[in-house]
Amino acid sequence: MSRFRAHAFDWIACLFFASIPVVIFWQTATSLAEQDAASGGPLDNAAFYPRLIAALISVAVTIHGIRLLFGRVQDQSTFKAETGTRLGVFLTILFLVYLLVLPYAGFHIATPILLIMMTRALGLGLLSALAGSVVMWLGTSFVFEGLLNVVLPVGMFNITIFS
Amino acid sequence: MFDLLREGLPLFFNFQALLLTALGIVGGLVIGVLPGLGPLMGIVLLLPLAFHLPPIAAMGMLIAIYVGGSAGGSVSSILLRIPGTPLAAATLFDGYPMAQQGRAQDAVGLALTSSALGGLIAGLMLVFFSPLLAQFALRFAPPEYFAMAVLGVLTIALVSEGSALKGLLAGGLGLFLSMIGTDEFTNAYRFTFGDFRLSSGPHLVAVVVGLFALSEIFSQLEAGNYLAKPTVQRLRISFRALRLVMTHKFNLLRSSMIGTFFGAVPGAGGDVSAFISYAAAKRFARADEKYGEGAEGGVVATEAANNGCCGGALIPTLSLGIPGDASTAVLMGALILFGFFPGPDLFRDSPDVAGGIFIAYIMANIMLLVLGIILAPIFGSVLKLRKAWLLPAVLLLSTLGTYSLQNSIFDLWVMLTFGVVGYVLRRAGYPLAPLIIGMILGGIMEANLRRSLLISRDGLGIFFERPICATILAIDLFLLLSIIYSTVRSSRKGAGENEKEDPQIT
Repeated sequence: MSRFRAHAFDWIACLFFASIPVVIFWQTATSLAEQDAASGGPLDNAAFYPRLIAALISVAVTIHGIRLLFGRVQDQSTFKAETGTRLGVFLTILFLVYLLVLPYAGFHIATPILLIMMTRALGLGLLSALAGSVVMWLGTSFVFEGLLNVVLPVGMFNITIFS
Repeated sequence: MFDLLREGLPLFFNFQALLLTALGIVGGLVIGVLPGLGPLMGIVLLLPLAFHLPPIAAMGMLIAIYVGGSAGGSVSSILLRIPGTPLAAATLFDGYPMAQQGRAQDAVGLALTSSALGGLIAGLMLVFFSPLLAQFALRFAPPEYFAMAVLGVLTIALVSEGSALKGLLAGGLGLFLSMIGTDEFTNAYRFTFGDFRLSSGPHLVAVVVGLFALSEIFSQLEAGNYLAKPTVQRLRISFRALRLVMTHKFNLLRSSMIGTFFGAVPGAGGDVSAFISYAAAKRFARADEKYGEGAEGGVVATEAANNGCCGGALIPTLSLGIPGDASTAVLMGALILFGFFPGPDLFRDSPDVAGGIFIAYIMANIMLLVLGIILAPIFGSVLKLRKAWLLPAVLLLSTLGTYSLQNSIFDLWVMLTFGVVGYVLRRAGYPLAPLIIGMILGGIMEANLRRSLLISRDGLGIFFERPICATILAIDLFLLLSIIYSTVRSSRKGAGENEKEDPQIT
């Protein structure tokens, strides 16, 4: 257990890498076989190269897993929380909610709210957070919407400012 | 050589390209000055914007950020004793003592001037050697391209920071990402799980922004100190450094050459070249030069080398399609997305673009020389910028840039996913550069492997019968054995150290 704790992130990464060959072998045996692209010569076989890479990743991940299991990895990667870990998690969740809301609320509603909440959470005063967020939101909107003609998400209210 | 430059002149010398290159230098310097952000972050943040511009103007801007960002890191090394980028780590040996002696102005001036001149010397070598290398690479056929792509992934895996095995795994992930989407030979959908939005694979830029920008935001958030504001010495505009640097001309030339050489070796990087050229400068220094106590030569050596490295890294990138480091990998990705494939074909089919890129690199260094001196007074203010402003700005720019690539919110989800992946991999000590290089070279590797097998009617002999291919594959094998050797060696060390740290673990 102590070995797992000492290399927690390494174990997560190792499991992630181990899942890649699994996905490759599974998909080549199912989806690519159904599309008739998992056998034949180099021109017809879309599964040959993925299988080759999957085999190489399998070997590398097995070696790394064994090293982790027997404590042969030098650098530790514990789950230790830093000063701002909690805030980091909160802001990541906030950004995730922003992405969920963005198609419905639109860029010009969701973004200033995200920026104000973020700058406030990072310790700025209410007035400077408000003013700074509005400047950042309008400034970037002007560049992308006004100058580069990017259609920013308009949401259910169809809001655009510079186009 | 001069034909390329002549063909590139009309593409580069227009108001838009010149302005964007100048803005790229300013942006690169500002990003480089800020500790924690480097040239790669600058390129990543402005990469989506580049796709709204003509290719050469956009490449000029991105190359200028690369050049400016590599030079800007020296400023915080000198003023705060915190390297703005790993490239500038060796600069603080003499730069910071110079600042402590009240010579911050000279140190910053010398650093920026040496960077620009080092970059210019590397630029000359880039212009001279790239076409020669590309000429040689014209003999390449699919087997050689396959072997070169393998070489690119293995080299970066081997020399990236951290374990070589982890580098190899990260490269493997990049190769897997390159397979997602429609297979170009059969038109079959691979690893899309029935989602049409993955039919072209995850967008390279969304992956890059997530891996580098978002994971950096997470790391900076964890570190705290959002409102910290350092006290820095005031700088002014001064051309004295131009005179000072001329008293170190041999050091400058030697360091630029070292930087260019190490830049051209994929993966070696600017930080390695800076330390090596520092050691060389110290070895050949006059008796009265006190290295480590504020010697001007120390600053000249490290900065000329780390910017010389930029030009060096562009040599294999442009002529062989093998990126020298993560920044050039992203630059190469941008060039591919613009429809130009680096390698001998670029020089044969689009000599104007190759020439335009050379001119952009040279002009970026000339602008660095001028703008670096003129903008010196604002660096102090940049260093005072609080994280509480910087992090939301980086997040907003990442979000808007990634969205604007294809007006797709799906790309933002890809960006967030790879932000989390990048954070976990960083925490676990995985280098991220091999992932990007794997993703860029993966398509080239597969296409050329299958073409080779097609030519040889499924026989592997084609890889060993051709002398160039066999030689490159022998180097590949040597690198693979080096990775195995370094893994076995570090496993032994790991066991020893763990026993010391925790006696319960046997």
